[in-house]
Amino acid sequence: MTARTLPTEVFEPFHSALPPLKPYWRSLWARRAFISEFSRSDLREKHFDSLFGQVWLILNPLLLSGVYFLLIVIIGGHSDKARYAHLTACLFLFYAIANSMIGGVKSVTAGQRLILNTAFPRIMLPMSATLVSLIRFLPTIAVFLVIKGLLGLPFTFQMFWAIPIIAIAFLLGLGLAILFSCINVYFRDIATFLPYFNRSWLYLSPILYEASALKPELRPLEQINPLFPLLDSWSRVMVHGQAPSFSQLGVSLLWALGFLIIGTYFFLSREREFAVRV
Amino acid sequence: MGDLAISVQNLNLIYKTTIDKRPTLKARMKSLGRGTKQTRIVHAVNDLSIDIPYGSVLGVVGANGAGKSTLMRVISGILPPTAGRVEVYGKVSTLLALGVGFNPSMSGRENVLLGGLAAGMSRKEIDKHFEEIADFAELGDAIDAPMRTYSSGMYARLGFSVAVTVRPDILIVDEALSTGDARFKEKSLNKMKELRSDARALILVSHALGTIQDMCNEVAWMHQGKLIQRGEPREVVEAYQKFLEVGKSAVVNEDV
Repeated sequence: MTARTLPTEVFEPFHSALPPLKPYWRSLWARRAFISEFSRSDLREKHFDSLFGQVWLILNPLLLSGVYFLLIVIIGGHSDKARYAHLTACLFLFYAIANSMIGGVKSVTAGQRLILNTAFPRIMLPMSATLVSLIRFLPTIAVFLVIKGLLGLPFTFQMFWAIPIIAIAFLLGLGLAILFSCINVYFRDIATFLPYFNRSWLYLSPILYEASALKPELRPLEQINPLFPLLDSWSRVMVHGQAPSFSQLGVSLLWALGFLIIGTYFFLSREREFAVRV
Repeated sequence: MGDLAISVQNLNLIYKTTIDKRPTLKARMKSLGRGTKQTRIVHAVNDLSIDIPYGSVLGVVGANGAGKSTLMRVISGILPPTAGRVEVYGKVSTLLALGVGFNPSMSGRENVLLGGLAAGMSRKEIDKHFEEIADFAELGDAIDAPMRTYSSGMYARLGFSVAVTVRPDILIVDEALSTGDARFKEKSLNKMKELRSDARALILVSHALGTIQDMCNEVAWMHQGKLIQRGEPREVVEAYQKFLEVGKSAVVNEDV
């Protein structure tokens, strides 16, 4: 028996923590149709393609912002158009990131059957959760723009800065999804903690209030909260129609890349254990 | 026999799992208090070496827990070796479970797409073979109904049709042959026989010794992670049966 040529694949115990990255990326790219179909089936399960499902997609963010409107404007008595628009815009972006985390955290443990029975790049699972979150985010932008129009706030060309900001937000969401999905395999309780964590994060971020309105003693929050510069830029661009500050954009990008790199490293180096631990 | 398809060299696979099945905070705290982490070590594949050439239809038999499914998962790249090396010359497709990647709330048609993509086919290939898959599964109009409304037989038939449509160089089938009613069983066996060719390697893991003897041109017998015997189907199966101290019965030949 002679070997045909070089082996197509060689399976060896990993000597370093990471699998060979180029073939991994190539196999991930080859699976892009699977990733998109997988996300699509997830969305369809959530009735995304039915009329009711789509109405709910719009209704959900509206109701969310309605509750806070009640809290702040009616009960709190602050009748500030800009503040309400800020609240709505930041809430929507926050929920995009939070949904990516919540969808991602269980993605690996829920994909038990797939992981045990097919060979595929498993980072696809949290990626798919982030993709679903992105698709569900897009209608909320439309809703916000309508609200903004109704409130009579300025629309400028600077609002196109929203595109890089959304990109950074989803990089952050992806990094968090990957990181938490991996942690969940080892520490199942994290899926239970996550909603509380997210709720606290919501209150610690400049959503219900503007960053500038923060008391000076609480300024350190700005440094340790990755969402601070992101949401502040988002508010500047979407609510006030101004260009964002580049230093803030830079800091948000660094946070996003940081989480993405750490999360991916952790995930890829542990991925081989999933079939055993899941 | 033709060129080498798979070369397994001194393969070892060790599972190390902690005893507490649900890694919750409470359990961790308890084990911290105890000062030890209770682990269970399973030597699933124990220094196994085997070369499989193209053209072979290899049956793999063995008692439960012999390491057969683990070996298949290492060869298909699902589990990495703890030690040793596996070389694969060609594309591997696996039928380790039916309906992998399927989403029960979606229709059969959509699941053919999902399952095909999960198995590594491209969208174009799936579209090209769709009629073939649908015909083989004999579902008729039900293919557009959500899969959670399917009977288990329908589910299995569709799962099998999708998996067997991939035309891989190396096909690994793990105990998924006995699906559906007797008629479909015959159909699926015939389909598997069609796949036997000089340009392909088939590996069949099964407890159905009758099928193994019928289909395979070679049989390997595994026990507790080791390769005990390999050779002519009749020989190896007889030795295996003697080991199990069961005679030829309908139960063993899986005619139930």
